Amino acid sequence: MTDAEIELIARAAGLQTALEQYRADVKAAAEEAERLRAALKGPLTAADEPWPPMTVRKP
Amino acid sequence: MSVDLPWLTIAETQALYASRKLSPVELVTALLARIEKLDPQLNVFIRLDAEAALAAARTAGQEIAAGRARGPLHGIPVGIKDIIDVAGLPTTCHSKILAGNVAAADAPAVASLRAAGAVVLGKLSTHEFAFGGPSFDLPFPPARNPWDRTRHPGGSSSGSGAGVAAGFFPAALGSDTAGSIRNPASACGCVGLKPTYGRVSRRGVFPLAFSLDHVGPLARSVADAALVTEAIAGFDPADPGSANWPKPALTPALGQGVRSLRIGFVRHFHETDMPADPEVAAGLEAAATLLEKEGAQVRSVTLPNLKDASALTRTIMHAEAWAIHAEWLRARPGDYGLLSRKRLMTGAFLTAADYVDAQRRRLKLIAAVEEVFRDVDVLLCASSMDPPCRIDDDEAIGRTYPRQARNPFNTTGHPALAMMSGLSKDGLPLSLQFVGRAQDEATVLRTAAAFERASGVAKLHPNLP
Repeated sequence: MTDAEIELIARAAGLQTALEQYRADVKAAAEEAERLRAALKGPLTAADEPWPPMTVRKP
Repeated sequence: MSVDLPWLTIAETQALYASRKLSPVELVTALLARIEKLDPQLNVFIRLDAEAALAAARTAGQEIAAGRARGPLHGIPVGIKDIIDVAGLPTTCHSKILAGNVAAADAPAVASLRAAGAVVLGKLSTHEFAFGGPSFDLPFPPARNPWDRTRHPGGSSSGSGAGVAAGFFPAALGSDTAGSIRNPASACGCVGLKPTYGRVSRRGVFPLAFSLDHVGPLARSVADAALVTEAIAGFDPADPGSANWPKPALTPALGQGVRSLRIGFVRHFHETDMPADPEVAAGLEAAATLLEKEGAQVRSVTLPNLKDASALTRTIMHAEAWAIHAEWLRARPGDYGLLSRKRLMTGAFLTAADYVDAQRRRLKLIAAVEEVFRDVDVLLCASSMDPPCRIDDDEAIGRTYPRQARNPFNTTGHPALAMMSGLSKDGLPLSLQFVGRAQDEATVLRTAAAFERASGVAKLHPNLP
């Protein structure tokens, strides 16, 4: 993620104040998100549903 | 009295109460004096509520003397992590953000302890919002490890673990989203149980990540952890994650031993996925050998790679935590400590698809763990891969903190207990973990109790004045 992309996403998330005052922290957060995304491994198919499965509760 | 009050178990305390050799007021008074003397070096308490504790102890003493004993927790002092509401006391989450946030009511877990007669001593240190720590830029200092106050006590339930280990109280409540009960239990050499997801109400507990958050006990013995869990377990229709299961009976099986129990040893966690410190690895092997001598059948089992499972958990945690903290991070980023700010903003950079994909992989992880439990009754694996490092060494904290095998079981919801396996050559606690089938805390505790008896670890205490 480039610095420009980080800034774009941070502004879209409403983190203008953090960008102005804690730019290094914002960048560190973005880098950690990149690491996590890269670390999610293993194939998924369209049939793999998320947890928890949708259930309809009794009224 | 010659009894060593700080190290009494709950059962020993009740025996002394019943024989009139000790009263709750005498015990609480002694512990308050110990806290006053030692806590300036350990920072266990954010808020000590001595007056209310003494009043509760007086009431408990009068009830016991009148023959109206309520049960095993009557007159037993406890501490409460400061993300859990105690009526009339601030819940600060160790943060400037929530300064002055006074709780209107007890969290159900606290109310259950009070109903059982427990005496609440006060609110305990945590990592900021159970996430950012250990930190020196918060309104309160971080808790220290009683075994060596230059060392990290683990977190985020730092004060709970440090206070139990220091002999300030026999048990405490903590919370566990990615290992936060079991980490301080590991670092401070006590017992920490994360019950099954849904077993204990999380209402009145400030959330970190809704689908990973658990509440549970830290204690100096397995039996004490079982007693506290029995008291706080129960269905709460006002907690969306609470499960409508019967209250468990956890203490009857504690003495049954492990003969013929099938224990799956997850060696690859600490041998190849995240190679552990040699002393930690040796402690795990010694524990497996000891349990075999006690009659258990120990065999190696394979789960998904620990690093993959950990990334999955952290993705879910960061995404859910961002949803909780986004407004404050937008408006008041400077009111967070550095570590919380960095960690909590991570979720802003994850996409909806990242979160959903992590949740899809979560079902696969749950299925893999369930599959292993077709052939074994309980798992043995590492908790922390390293002994506790120096609390002021940012590099060591950053390196060792993720080296743990706890957070996969937050993702799967299985009950998991961490405890001391022994001491390192430097005299620091080493740790292990037992994991059970969903709702089967009884087998986890039974296995841990057998190990505790055979190893003698419950007799080890830090060398405090």
